[in-house]
Amino acid sequence: MSRRTSMTRRAIAPVFVLSALMSARQASAAAAPDPSAGDIRLELSPRICTLAAEDKQCDTWVHARWQSPHEESLCLVIVERPEVKRCWEHYSQGTYNIELVFSEDLIFQLKDLDLRRVLASEALRVIRAAVHYRHKRRHPWNLFD
Amino acid sequence: MNAAMGTGYARHANNSMYAKSFKWFFAILAGLAQAQGATAADDCKGPSSECVAVGKWNFSVALGAGVRSSPLATGQNIPLIIIPQFSYYGNRFFINDLDLGFTLVENTTNTFSLVASPGYDRVFFYRSDVQNIFVGGLPGNSPMAAFVVRPAAGSTQNPVQFPPHARHYTYLAGPEWTFKLSAVSGQLSVLHDVTDQDNGTEIRAALGIPLVESKGSLTANLGVTWKSAAIVNYYYGSPGIYEGGSALNPFFKLGYARPLTGKWRVSAFAEYERLGNAIANSPIVEERYVATAFVGAIYTF
Repeated sequence: MSRRTSMTRRAIAPVFVLSALMSARQASAAAAPDPSAGDIRLELSPRICTLAAEDKQCDTWVHARWQSPHEESLCLVIVERPEVKRCWEHYSQGTYNIELVFSEDLIFQLKDLDLRRVLASEALRVIRAAVHYRHKRRHPWNLFD
Repeated sequence: MNAAMGTGYARHANNSMYAKSFKWFFAILAGLAQAQGATAADDCKGPSSECVAVGKWNFSVALGAGVRSSPLATGQNIPLIIIPQFSYYGNRFFINDLDLGFTLVENTTNTFSLVASPGYDRVFFYRSDVQNIFVGGLPGNSPMAAFVVRPAAGSTQNPVQFPPHARHYTYLAGPEWTFKLSAVSGQLSVLHDVTDQDNGTEIRAALGIPLVESKGSLTANLGVTWKSAAIVNYYYGSPGIYEGGSALNPFFKLGYARPLTGKWRVSAFAEYERLGNAIANSPIVEERYVATAFVGAIYTF
């Protein structure tokens, strides 16, 4: 009896895992690149912006480059930056340079011309240098201490 | 000759005792530093009036009107108009204007450091002293003149010439303990001349007491500076004319600061330092106090 229950559990478990994977895939379909898009590669330069202790935001030129084995019609966009959009029709590669000011990670996406399907995605990360603080020395013999 | 040799021996003996005491003190501090590891200032989470970012230079300039009096008979008051300030704090090393330091142990209430600080008295003798940049803008040129010793009122003695002698830059170095007790902060440093000029010792002790903390802050500082006879005589003495002992200078300072818009803040302070008898009794000293006052604004870069 107990052995049968154990076998049933073994049979059911993969079904749950498969089901969970499928629902997770459906949930992330809107944000993740569509695998049917093929081998479209998106590259950013730089990929990381490091903020020094005194810096509040990154201010840099970003070079985006995409490449595909086939001709594509697509647009390059940045999440939550509706003002940035560059489209190509029937191209197998493209580049785009833009000066950006940002303080949080930027997500670059290649989408179809309807801007519905994500074909490729790449992040430009912001890394803040860890700032440590210590006690300031008080010295009343100095004028302003 | 014998007297000179005796003085030299006494000085050597004093220095030797001083060096021995320092060795013990440093050994204890080094042990504490090893036990504690890196510096720990857990209550410093961000920039504030008491905390500063590690590894960053800080520059500011005060613009305003003020003056520091000179106690010397031939001295001129030092104007306070443009006063630059800078500092840098590493994990242990720090620069605070012309002071340098290395922190051995730091926790939320106590800090033990080794510091080096310039001797202050030279500023009254040379307007070109670099410290005068930090108290009153660009230093001027004022050649050192001989002092004429004026006899006391009613005395029948003739005025005597107080021969000029060079008073070089000096740096004092030694341990410094700063502590925080509730809102009151305190400081004690025991410093010795390391530039082999006056070979004197100076002890600086002070308390900072916040009186008002709202939009602006009003703080009282009271303290004392003890100067050994070697320092007193290097600046204010002359062999055969005047030789004083050690001097204890108490001081009181009231400072006010309030943030303005942007990087500006308003600042004002008044300080009164009473000179110890050994300094005040020197024939070249006319006033037995040094008064300093300033009102202006500080811009932080």
